Amino acid sequence: MKTLNLIALSVFMAATIAVLTLDTPTTRKVQGRVLAIFAPFIHGSGAVQDTTSKAAAPDVDPRELMRYNEQLKLEVAKLKILSQRHDELLDENNRLREMVGYKMRAPFKNLVAAHVVKRSAAMWWNTLIIDKGTEDGIESDRAVLTDSGLVGKTGRVSPNMAEVILLTDELCRVAAMVEGTREKGILSGERGAFVNTPDLRLRFLSRNGEVAPGMNVISSGDGGVFPAKLLLGRVKIFENKDIAGEAVVEPAVDFSKLEDVFVVGTDVARAVEVKTP
Amino acid sequence: MLFNLIVIALTFLSFAVEEFVPVVGVAHNARLFITPIFFFCASVAVPFPVMLLLAFTTGFVWDARYMEVVSLDSGAERLAQITSFGGFSGYGAGMVGGGELGFGYSIILFGVLGSLMQGIRPLFRKGRWELPVLMVGFVTVIWLLVQYVVLTFLRGDMFFPNEMWVKTVSVTLMAMLASPLFYLVLHTLARATNYEIRYEGLRYRFDGS
Repeated sequence: MKTLNLIALSVFMAATIAVLTLDTPTTRKVQGRVLAIFAPFIHGSGAVQDTTSKAAAPDVDPRELMRYNEQLKLEVAKLKILSQRHDELLDENNRLREMVGYKMRAPFKNLVAAHVVKRSAAMWWNTLIIDKGTEDGIESDRAVLTDSGLVGKTGRVSPNMAEVILLTDELCRVAAMVEGTREKGILSGERGAFVNTPDLRLRFLSRNGEVAPGMNVISSGDGGVFPAKLLLGRVKIFENKDIAGEAVVEPAVDFSKLEDVFVVGTDVARAVEVKTP
Repeated sequence: MLFNLIVIALTFLSFAVEEFVPVVGVAHNARLFITPIFFFCASVAVPFPVMLLLAFTTGFVWDARYMEVVSLDSGAERLAQITSFGGFSGYGAGMVGGGELGFGYSIILFGVLGSLMQGIRPLFRKGRWELPVLMVGFVTVIWLLVQYVVLTFLRGDMFFPNEMWVKTVSVTLMAMLASPLFYLVLHTLARATNYEIRYEGLRYRFDGS
């Protein structure tokens, strides 16, 4: 082998070892920077996808759109009043809890609304890209949700863009419980589930647990990433495995139709389990 | 020299083009991976040190853009506690802790696969594209399978669903279909820049004595 090739190989190996030994925060910083560099292309490809899908979509009557818009305006006004009332009641509730020694339940007051730019094209991971980043108060490992339920968590984040690891990915694991029971487990997607809305698996339940089809699965708040009581899905089937029970769960969110999501911002206190004194 | 510089520039450009490639829904979201295919094709044309440089930059940017990194925070430990029930302490902790491919894995993979591609340089020089096209298919399969096998092994069990095979085969076929175009670009570029593709591997030397 030529001397130049040997030198090149040595430098290559040294540089590779240096990259492999990078710690997670540094890696995430690098990934955030690279995502920021590619942001214009990602936005561009998202716009192209939007344009092509809109071109293929049937025409919508403008009068119908106006009617729908009016209806939405009324709904927003109604929800604003309800939200104000909800905040008042929550404050009052927390004051009373404090007086009797209960722990406070923190509300989500800083939900960052984000638009889905595009579905990511990674080979083995189910992800999507949203148009909000660190400049909007978003960090890695933040819960992402819609009004239907939990969507996933944030992965790499750049100043104006973030990647969301979907709940359907095996990498996004959520401490979950079956509503109305004491059954707790870990919910995650299945490996090799590359379709838009695959079923999820709730593992590590008790054998012969009181779990029936149709029951809601919600986040338990354990693990520190996802707030408690977020709807995750509904039980389809419960199976007894060798040493634990396992449930097949239908996701609450239709991942094929995601357009807008909410990210739990940085200054939101996490919901805490309420404990009796 | 000019050829090598243009190839490096094209590699970076391929990352931008990559963003615009749509997925094929019926093939479990398989798609054409522009950058890896361009790298595999370029590996045949460039000298060994330049191939290593390309492998490093391609692998680094690829992992920075597409690889998911797991943060091993206290959350994983707390989740592990949930799974230690009924006397099965620690059961499922591996699954909860979740091993993943490390950042930089792709650099090694591209380095090894690029070295394999270097072996067919004489054929490429002669303008024979049959074996180079087959080699692109072969290294694409290896690239995808090694990633998946390591991933599935680190996650706790060896699980090979049909969807994975369909996706892998679809990506490989697309890579083989597209590779002649990349070879054509590289050949044209080599001619335009008067670049001579030389084989510097296992060369037989005879000094006449």
